[in-house]
Amino acid sequence: MAFNVLIVDDSSAMRAVVKKAIKLSGFDVGEYWEAADGKEALDKLRIHWVDVVLTDINMPQLNGMELVAKMKEDGLLRSVPVIMVSTEGSESKVAESIRLGASGYIKKPFHPEDIKVTLGRVMGVKDENRDDSNTLEGSDF
Amino acid sequence: MKTEMIQTHLREAISEVMETMFFLPVQFLDGRRSIQEWFSGEDKVMEAFIDFEGPRSGRVFLLVPDPTVNEMAANFLGLDEDEVSEEHAQDTLKETINMMTGRMLSIADRKARCALRIPRFAGEWNSADPEKGKSSGVLLLFETGKHHLAAGVVEPGI
Repeated sequence: MAFNVLIVDDSSAMRAVVKKAIKLSGFDVGEYWEAADGKEALDKLRIHWVDVVLTDINMPQLNGMELVAKMKEDGLLRSVPVIMVSTEGSESKVAESIRLGASGYIKKPFHPEDIKVTLGRVMGVKDENRDDSNTLEGSDF
Repeated sequence: MKTEMIQTHLREAISEVMETMFFLPVQFLDGRRSIQEWFSGEDKVMEAFIDFEGPRSGRVFLLVPDPTVNEMAANFLGLDEDEVSEEHAQDTLKETINMMTGRMLSIADRKARCALRIPRFAGEWNSADPEKGKSSGVLLLFETGKHHLAAGVVEPGI
């Protein structure tokens, strides 16, 4: 079944790269939505049906961490899985993201395969040839 | 952390980002050369930088000749070079310095609590900039085969 994706990053180039990686992964995606920061993402989440969010952390206005926190406080949005896609790959950042409720973490720079593996896991799509070296999930902590 | 350590971590971060995201292996210059001399053959060099704050604070800058920025953006976005817009190019350069710095800080200290600020595009590099001319802090000169690039860290205390 097709799912809708929201990509949140203040870099339009990075949004395009993430979108391209998802397309290359072969997932059945219905709609792609984009937002340049957490505030715009919340606005989009309130008017569109989104099945999964991929978000950067370091953004103006409302950053990725704050976006996850806001979503988890919102009864309608708390069940939408969020995958962090960020350069900030320190253990503390990853742990904090997972504590806030993120479902996965992809460190930049990434290979398209990292997106495929993490998105597949979060959306329940199995991949038998997975390589998790650049991706992290809640159970890793 | 010593200057040599920062240099090693930045070097590793540059290689990883350039190869993984832009498919551009780089070679680092061994030995000293002034930044002005390094760029003497390049017509137009663009600059991006990012500040980081926390237990350590400073600025990381990246200097890339205009044609290389175009090539990077094309590889990054899967476009032909003549399809790359100015916004694409600037965004690519900002994202590059963001990834390099984030990676450098992650390598330097896995528990680092340094926060990255928003990356900035600074436009065309001013070769008379005394800050970089003195190569204060860390300065790395590297090349893609076609063009010369440079990156450095300006940090109080190093």
